[in-house]
Amino acid sequence: MVTKRQLGIIVIALGLLVLLSTIGVDFIGAGEWSGFGPLQRIGLGLGITVTVVGAILICLGDRPA
Amino acid sequence: MPRIKSLGTVLAVIAILVYVAYLVVYVAYAVDLFRWPFDYDQGEGFELYDAILYSQGEWPYRDNAIYPFYASNYPPLFHLLIVPLLPILGPHLIAGRLVSFIATFVTAGIIAAVVRREVACPEQSRRSGWFIPIISGLAFLASNYVYQIGPLCRMHMTMVMFETLAIAFIAKFEHPQHGRRYLILGLLMLLCAGYTKQMAVFTVVAALSYVFLRDIKKAIVAGVALAVVAGTIFWLLNVATGGQWWVNTIQANVNEFEYRQTIFLFGQWFRLHTVFILLAAGYLIYELFWDRLSIYSLWFLFALGGGALSGKWGAGFGYFTTAVAAACLASGLALGRLSQFKIHNGFDTPTATQPKPQFTIRPLLAIIIPLLYLVQASCMLHLPTSGPIFGPLARTLGVDGALVVGDCTTFQYHDSMGYTQLGHHLTPDDYAAGEKILRYVRTADGPVLSEEAMFSLLSGEPVVTNPTQLLNLYNNDLLDTTEIIARINRQEFGAVIFRAQFYPPPVLKAIGENYQPVEQVCMNGFYYHVLWPRRMFAANEE
Repeated sequence: MVTKRQLGIIVIALGLLVLLSTIGVDFIGAGEWSGFGPLQRIGLGLGITVTVVGAILICLGDRPA
Repeated sequence: MPRIKSLGTVLAVIAILVYVAYLVVYVAYAVDLFRWPFDYDQGEGFELYDAILYSQGEWPYRDNAIYPFYASNYPPLFHLLIVPLLPILGPHLIAGRLVSFIATFVTAGIIAAVVRREVACPEQSRRSGWFIPIISGLAFLASNYVYQIGPLCRMHMTMVMFETLAIAFIAKFEHPQHGRRYLILGLLMLLCAGYTKQMAVFTVVAALSYVFLRDIKKAIVAGVALAVVAGTIFWLLNVATGGQWWVNTIQANVNEFEYRQTIFLFGQWFRLHTVFILLAAGYLIYELFWDRLSIYSLWFLFALGGGALSGKWGAGFGYFTTAVAAACLASGLALGRLSQFKIHNGFDTPTATQPKPQFTIRPLLAIIIPLLYLVQASCMLHLPTSGPIFGPLARTLGVDGALVVGDCTTFQYHDSMGYTQLGHHLTPDDYAAGEKILRYVRTADGPVLSEEAMFSLLSGEPVVTNPTQLLNLYNNDLLDTTEIIARINRQEFGAVIFRAQFYPPPVLKAIGENYQPVEQVCMNGFYYHVLWPRRMFAANEE
């Protein structure tokens, strides 16, 4: 059984992955915009939200997820 | 209090009547479509043709570079379900339309049954507690998206049916006696959903995530078992078709992505299903932070992934139908849970002489819940605006002037989603136009290049090309156009019928050089362009 804390860790990892991918695409030159594109803004918002949700879940401790 | 209860009962009856009215609109549309012999939605005829090929023992996964330049880009299960109906109904679209239509009712029934199962209150009698489950099921059929796609010969709603069944089964995988059976049945349904349409992968992830949260070992075993079975079938299909399965169902489906379309469709989906989505999202948040995550909330969450793919070329609002089913189900659970909720005035410790006062919000919810369903019903408004019943109804609702405008006609149909190519009824003019196009096909002196298969199938002619598949392959550098262009240059095709000019650019160019427009026919809101080989005009001039 997975706890809220463990789920939070997984969710944070996913959020960070989204954030890193969002920023990382600029380094490989993907996308059609030269600056920070609209899809990246969506990715950034999503990544931050997911990370915050994960952090809250970690605070909820060992309750079952 | 009795007045509130009476008002709640009246509102509940009105809500049920409204959703039953949507059901009538849906059935009327479906019956109208069952009679229509031509493609209503581009691609229906190709799906039927896939079923015909299976019934003849042939694969629809073929080399697109050689005559008849035809292949399917979808998995086989929906088409296989049509096969038993072909001897009864003939090679007509009604066979596939019936399968899809029935699938929507099965899905609605499962939603109602699951909501009933999960929110049934033991304190209440067996007869009570049906309002929310019934409305949850009817709500699925009342969705603009389900209404429009439900009775089409397309596989999407059959996939949603298998997904819903899978979720209903896997939800009970911890059942003390039958848990193992439920899990196996759920995995089987996931397999069926995936082999109906590839998009079911999001429901697979949702279901396995749920099992993972509760029992990691079982999730790994279930995931590996599903992957092995699905992978073996995949490999066998690929071997049997000489690699064409991989090319046509996987490589050809890598299409251009337009994120603006996704954002637009997310907005539209939210606007049309606001109450369901907010309730389902609220239920997800509640479970995430205050309770245990259910499979239903996870399904709703992951179904959004399917919606995110709606920006793909060739995709559309149909990609949200899984999310609609999940939202109807989760919102029903949310309201069911809420209706059993009691607010305790719990700051003071009760004593034996002074029991803890309790304020129940149930009477208020008896009004709020039907009201929410009525608000939601108004968001999804869609109905024909002509006819002895729908005409006066549309006038009463004040939407008889807000009609959907097609390319060459104004449909006697209103839909709160705005412009849509689907949903309207056919007219006698449409039937006459169909017959007119059919005459061109029947009198052609060679096979016909048509963007819709039904003209060829109804004329007993071979189905040549699947234009969107050719374009998919061309866009992925997977199509050799040498033979098809050579045949066009030789003017071997007796006629060409365009609806949207889906063919790859080099094919369109060759057609433009060798074929000449004869007539454009307005049918079902679209202009169909009929072209003849230039040799025929030269012969006439001589």
